Amino acid sequence: MDQASPFDDQLAALLPRLRRFAHALSRDAADADDLTQAAIERALRSKAQWQPGTRLDSWCYRIMRNLWIDTARARSRKATHEAPEEEGLGVGEDPRPGIEAAVDLHRVMDAMSRLPDEQREVVALILVEGFGYREVSEMLGLPIGTVSSRLVRGRTALLAMVGEQ
Amino acid sequence: MNDDKFFAWLDDELDPADAAEMQARVAADPELKRLAEQHRALGAHLRSAFDPIAEAPVPERLEAALRPTAQVIDFAAARRTRSMPALAQWSAMAATLAIGILVGTQVPRGSSAPVEAQAGQLYAAASLNRALDTELASAPAGDVRIGITYRDQAGEICRSFTGAAGSGLACRSGTRWRMKGLFAAPEGQGSDYRMAAGMDPNLAALVDSTISGEPFDEAHEKAARDKGWR
Repeated sequence: MDQASPFDDQLAALLPRLRRFAHALSRDAADADDLTQAAIERALRSKAQWQPGTRLDSWCYRIMRNLWIDTARARSRKATHEAPEEEGLGVGEDPRPGIEAAVDLHRVMDAMSRLPDEQREVVALILVEGFGYREVSEMLGLPIGTVSSRLVRGRTALLAMVGEQ
Repeated sequence: MNDDKFFAWLDDELDPADAAEMQARVAADPELKRLAEQHRALGAHLRSAFDPIAEAPVPERLEAALRPTAQVIDFAAARRTRSMPALAQWSAMAATLAIGILVGTQVPRGSSAPVEAQAGQLYAAASLNRALDTELASAPAGDVRIGITYRDQAGEICRSFTGAAGSGLACRSGTRWRMKGLFAAPEGQGSDYRMAAGMDPNLAALVDSTISGEPFDEAHEKAARDKGWR
């Protein structure tokens, strides 16, 4: 228990942020929490692969992002316009109180959801999660120039969609 | 102009010399200035939309996904060395208990029942009492397994345990173990499932709401036993 608990404690402390990132990636509250849960489970199972001294947050974000890519791929093979099977099982709760807040969240999420996936993840990691370009480049395994140009395209498109309202 | 450099400046990614140069250019160019303001506002808007998700309480199922690890580790040895005999009393008790904290009715009577009621309180008895008194999580024996041991907010030692048909939490009260909660295993799921799935979420929530500090480690648990759980 002793050696396990620093990892578990850090992971627990990361949970709210991971959840936020999941919402940015998956655009749907129920999917986001499924993704968060899958990421936690994967992180716990892969605990031995994490190297103490390196950033646990980047490691977990990468796990989540890879899981999400797998899920998104599997989904896109299904009929795109059909409601996902699990929709009937549980409607995700908007974690924010109040109608106004929900409207804001919707508007921004709507704009985010219209971004291509590769721009959306970079926008989320840098503008929402506060990672640096270098960290994101390492996390996603992309050249830093690719990260920065995806970010420029993503934020420019977002501004066009949200900025006018 | 170089878009990437402008945005790198906006995101504090430039080295000081380049940043100063870009700063001067933006200051001299109303169009760039406006763009910088718009993008700063966009960033703030994004954060204000997404931050509340990180500030909201984490759903129970996500918390629960995190909790089992310590238990799974503790139980791994137990799973390897033996399988649990089913305990008739546990099954009978689980069948009569609603999931949740016991209210002290419908407790099976008899000298071997694992709990007994006294003055409106439930206390561990028989095999459960023996397990709570003597067993260590690191050395499981018998038909009740100890999960975690910790001190609660009132300063008493509490121990979680799992039997064949349910799990629970007991805290020291004088020289006895007073039951804080008993949770039936989900219908049709035996102890193997419970070990794999980790702590019952209701039990985990009860532990969370009562624990003060960290659970005891192996040495601490043993020392506490040797001192009679005071």
